[in-house]
Amino acid sequence: MYNEMFRQSDLRKEYSVIDAWLRKHGPEALLERQAEAEALFRKIGITFAVYSEGDDTDRLIPFDMVPRVFNNAEWSIVETGSVQRAKALNCFIADIYGDRKIINEGIVPAEILENNPAYLKEMNGYRPPNDIWSHIIGVDIVRTDEDTFFVLEDNCRTPSGISYVLQNREVMTRIFPELFEGGLVRPVDGYGEHLATAMQESAPVNCKGEPTLALLTPGQFNSAYYEHYFLADLMGIELVEGSDLFVADDKVFMRTTKGPKQIDVLYRRIDDEFLDPEVFQKDSVLGVAGLMRAMKAGNVTVINAPGTGIADDKSIYTYVPDMIRFYLDEEPIIPNVPTYCCEREEDYAYVRANLADLVVKEVHGSGGYGMLVGPTSTQQEIDDFALKLAANPRNYIAQPTLALSTSPILTTDGMSPRHVDLRPYVISGKTTSLIPSGLSRVALREGSLIVNSSQGGGVKDTWVLTEGNSNA
Amino acid sequence: MLSRTAEGLFWMSRYVERMDFMARLLDAGRRLDSLPRRDGIPLNEWTSIVVASGSSDTFPSDPKSADALSVCEHLIRDTSNPSSIVSCIDAARFNAKAVRTSLTAEVWEAINQTQAELKQDLANGLDRKHLTQFLDKVRSRTILIGGAITETMLRNDRHGFVQLGKWFERADSTARLLDVKYHILLPRVSDVGGGLDYLQWLQILRAANSAGAFRQIYGRNLDAEGVVDLLVLNSDSPRSLRTALSHVYGEILTLASDHDHRHRDLVHRLRANYTQLMDLSVPDIFAEGLHEWLTKFIVELNGTAIETANVFGFGAKEVSESL
Repeated sequence: MYNEMFRQSDLRKEYSVIDAWLRKHGPEALLERQAEAEALFRKIGITFAVYSEGDDTDRLIPFDMVPRVFNNAEWSIVETGSVQRAKALNCFIADIYGDRKIINEGIVPAEILENNPAYLKEMNGYRPPNDIWSHIIGVDIVRTDEDTFFVLEDNCRTPSGISYVLQNREVMTRIFPELFEGGLVRPVDGYGEHLATAMQESAPVNCKGEPTLALLTPGQFNSAYYEHYFLADLMGIELVEGSDLFVADDKVFMRTTKGPKQIDVLYRRIDDEFLDPEVFQKDSVLGVAGLMRAMKAGNVTVINAPGTGIADDKSIYTYVPDMIRFYLDEEPIIPNVPTYCCEREEDYAYVRANLADLVVKEVHGSGGYGMLVGPTSTQQEIDDFALKLAANPRNYIAQPTLALSTSPILTTDGMSPRHVDLRPYVISGKTTSLIPSGLSRVALREGSLIVNSSQGGGVKDTWVLTEGNSNA
Repeated sequence: MLSRTAEGLFWMSRYVERMDFMARLLDAGRRLDSLPRRDGIPLNEWTSIVVASGSSDTFPSDPKSADALSVCEHLIRDTSNPSSIVSCIDAARFNAKAVRTSLTAEVWEAINQTQAELKQDLANGLDRKHLTQFLDKVRSRTILIGGAITETMLRNDRHGFVQLGKWFERADSTARLLDVKYHILLPRVSDVGGGLDYLQWLQILRAANSAGAFRQIYGRNLDAEGVVDLLVLNSDSPRSLRTALSHVYGEILTLASDHDHRHRDLVHRLRANYTQLMDLSVPDIFAEGLHEWLTKFIVELNGTAIETANVFGFGAKEVSESL
């Protein structure tokens, strides 16, 4: 198993600053500072809600203080690989709601659109500015050794978590300024401007002059409300709710104390089905009636566009490498994890026979719910899952259990390795790029492979070293 | 600014001010309760506190039977009372959270922390011994929040709506506080103007933090006319109706747009109210009857608050018009 802090048994030089810092303070003193960090998070209000607990308690996402480090060369793989993927995914969405070349040429089967709730026929023929559908894409990446990365899944709808990336850094630089002396780490400060610029570049055709931007939230009871607030504040744009908006003359307006004001670019953080009761769920009060009309009339750009879920479905995932070859004429920089689609008979047979070694997921599931991790499950759990699988094989995919890399975390018994993944956030306006960091999620239970915050995972500050420091 | 944001700022501020008023009222109740009384003649200061707080409808039993414990419980901890201290700080935080992008971190933290601490203090029930301590804390926390607003917020529309909420609520509170005295029955008509009457007015003034100011301003012993002059007509007092209304008028003048006729109508209404208060004298008020005059004032004030909400695009919420 690959521990990112070491090369064989030697400490990697990228971690020398962190190692010296760990030795200087010792785990006990650092754990005390961890409480300080948590108090800071709570004071700032960085909390999230866990739906299944049925109350509105604000909880903290556990924060581990030991940073995760990428050198320049490693980051370059992550960066080019994610950008490549985001470009191909945007081409794919545009193609599906346009000419469908990839289907007509037999690379992706037409069946993927059948009974697929993520495919919105209402979007056929729509062309967003710059042909960008998914302006913010989260690419979940894992690592199995020094040079080997895999993409675990794509998030093309409304990926969340960027606020933790920025706040983790903020808290670390506040508590341990000495770690950042001398410009060791590439800063993440540009995210707000980066996103706002992409939004401005995505202004609709009928917008003349400076576009008015806004962020649409379901409201303060949503688990990610903190992030919505944080991003709106970062960009200095209005945080609006459905009840603040109305559509007149195919234009979207917000109600202000000085009368209606038109919105040109709307970054929505609510799901497709709630966006517009005229088109989707009739009883939704989270969105605004007429939004789709306004969008199609070229009076507002919705970010991310509706219907982008067609590209991040787990059944589509297996075709992404083909998309990269088809649209970009490039070889994938970061490969997929080998995936068995249980709708294929031979794959299903293999999965049935090897449940104990595989990770099995629901095709449309997310957040680590309803999945089986074979190697850490009991025989009873495996047998129970086999019944669910047999009832509806099409609903599942399976992947081999990867030997995910580990990163050390601070525990009461000192440093201890835990599995990590990485989600960089790729932003597309007129160009496609990302900030030098991402969300490192870490499993807090020893041996666990599940890093989702809804399942008790934590987060870490994620460093990309500046060029000079990468080669020192 | 979003109308919903204006609404959130306005109500956040009103609820903070209302919380402070509840603490002042209870403090007045405690002080009145400790005054010497004639044997066998029950006074009803706690009833008057319930009435003045506007909580007669939610009070769980007949307000006439109110005592220290039941009133404190209802005005501090009872969540079925929308004006209890707990309800107020919850509502203030709820509104603050909804408009967090429009607040400075300092204002949010002051409100967030206040809610957490007050709830913690009350977690194990209401401790009679620590009642004054708790009420003092509520008042000092209100000052902290007010300080955070003054010291950290830009002087723009956001600040304007926060101020507007505070001064509307302040005017309402002071009017209600003055009316407490009306509801306390004196044992005999001849007691009016007597020792007990004097002591009661003193407690009202203390609850308004204005006992020391009285002699400074008037250079004489306290009397009913003086108290009414100080809390209604004095332009230097931060708690007087005249001060509160002049701020409401000033904020509206800044927030309203010249181009909207509804905005202009609101400005005219407030100017008329303010001018009327400027022309008024204490004998005028007593001629009409203090209680009657206060009732009329509160009704008109609530009418203006509702019109304000409508004009700026957020509908009116519960506004009690009963005294």
